[in-house]
Amino acid sequence: MTPPLKTLELRELSVHYGKLQALRGVDLTLSAGEVLILAGPNGAGKSTLIKYLLGLVKPSAGALYVDGARRGVDDGLKRDLGYLPESVAFAENLDGEQVLRFFARARGVPRQRVHQVLERVGLLHAARRRVRGYSRGMRQRLGLGVAILSEPRLLILDEPTGGLDQEGLEVLWSVLAEWRAADRLVLMATHDLTLVERRVDRMCLLEGGSVRALDTPTRLRELAALPVRVSFRLADPRDGVEALVAQARGFADGGEVALREDMLSVEVPPARLLPLLQLHTDLGKLVQGVRVEEPGLDAVYDHLLEEAT
Amino acid sequence: MGRVALALVHQELLERTRDRWVLVISGLFALLASGVSLYGRSEELTATRLIGPSLVTLASLFVPLVALILGHDAVVGERERNTLGLLLSLPVRRFEVILAKFVGRLLALGGAIGLGLGAAVLFASAENRAVLLQLILPTLLLGAAFLSIGVLLSTLVSRQLTSASLVVATWFLLVFFYDLGLLGLMVVTDGQVAPETISTLVTVNPAGLFRLEMMQRFAGPDVLEGLGVGVAPPGSAATIGLWTLWILAPVASSSLILTWKKVT
Repeated sequence: MTPPLKTLELRELSVHYGKLQALRGVDLTLSAGEVLILAGPNGAGKSTLIKYLLGLVKPSAGALYVDGARRGVDDGLKRDLGYLPESVAFAENLDGEQVLRFFARARGVPRQRVHQVLERVGLLHAARRRVRGYSRGMRQRLGLGVAILSEPRLLILDEPTGGLDQEGLEVLWSVLAEWRAADRLVLMATHDLTLVERRVDRMCLLEGGSVRALDTPTRLRELAALPVRVSFRLADPRDGVEALVAQARGFADGGEVALREDMLSVEVPPARLLPLLQLHTDLGKLVQGVRVEEPGLDAVYDHLLEEAT
Repeated sequence: MGRVALALVHQELLERTRDRWVLVISGLFALLASGVSLYGRSEELTATRLIGPSLVTLASLFVPLVALILGHDAVVGERERNTLGLLLSLPVRRFEVILAKFVGRLLALGGAIGLGLGAAVLFASAENRAVLLQLILPTLLLGAAFLSIGVLLSTLVSRQLTSASLVVATWFLLVFFYDLGLLGLMVVTDGQVAPETISTLVTVNPAGLFRLEMMQRFAGPDVLEGLGVGVAPPGSAATIGLWTLWILAPVASSSLILTWKKVT
């Protein structure tokens, strides 16, 4: 019996398409219980990296290590992975159940699992409906069903949020949580960083075929050191506001300070956040409430990308 | 064939039996073939005199069309639906994917041919049935050759619409215009082209090979000679070789192309 897949490690991976170098010496480790997102602009190498892991492209240099052993993408690894392609469509004249049954047969999965998966992705009611009649979100859910059908150790999702409604997103989040809890591995390419940031463990930023940043969202936020937005709800916008705005400007260090009705918003560098919040304590009577907004992962991404280029 | 390829054969067959174009053309073929057979029965014609040649003409028009339609989206359809990568991410070799797609579609084609010729045999008089049954295998070979060409075209292009246009063009070229072209060649050269050259040119086209073989079988060489068709069919070994080449070469080329072509 093959031991369970615990780590995947890409070492110095390079891929060429003719003269075009799609990946340049990528080092990346994916561990059990981890959800890692691949982010980057179009042409950054995300799809090529995924294609490599699916065995669709050959590397020009570098190697893949599975649980510490140099292995490459072989049938053993393929049996252990589930994949959701971007904007997947499936044969229109088959129904959802027939689509899943094919993959169940191909992967040697028991037939009853098809119904479990249809229920899991919320498509049991449409199991006998032809894919032609499916909405984009339903097709995406069916694709997610195909990916999780064999309960693979490695789940590769390419733009999984595309077309999903709130209910569909909840299904996706529950799958991510289940895979993490079961100590499996998830690799996900996405542009919806704000949507996924609370559900991922690490982000790998690719640009020009190279890894520009690789860390947890918290650590990347620290690295980017983007201003934090603090909003004070004022008890009375006419009472002592000028003094408060003046004090806030002192903390903002050139960041935006805006007063809109009873809300004072201040953008401060992360290092000035605590002193600014202290101001709230000092001016307790003037301020009714305070809200702190950290920059979203999309802003961090933009900043890191700007720095990289 | 491994588990994935066998599952794919099953899936391809299932998918094709739900393809309305295939169903419509197969149904039409069955209807016309039954009509020919019933007409022959009512007029008490023998299979070799009229029914056989009529069915050969019908089959040589319909079967390549059904086969090309069946093959035209084999690979490009997966490519357009973004499922080619998903399919190839399964533990399966690329040549197995092509082979499974070919076999699954060939089974569907076999069903269509069986339906059409089966109906003709069913409605034929008892003495004609044995003669008509001889049509089945060569018709299957004809279909397999055109299916193979369809699969190859679907591997070469990146859009299904392009593939659909190409199969229609191929059908017109090989089934309709090819013989006209040969006639034109004879007219232009004032009949100076050697019969061997014409023979070769007829037999390198699977539709021509099928027609020649079947006409020879039903009408005999004397009748062909009498009609001024001085084309000698190739020997058995050459015939087997030609069919093998027409069926296997495009499928093998598809496998090679899929191996080398970038999967998007």
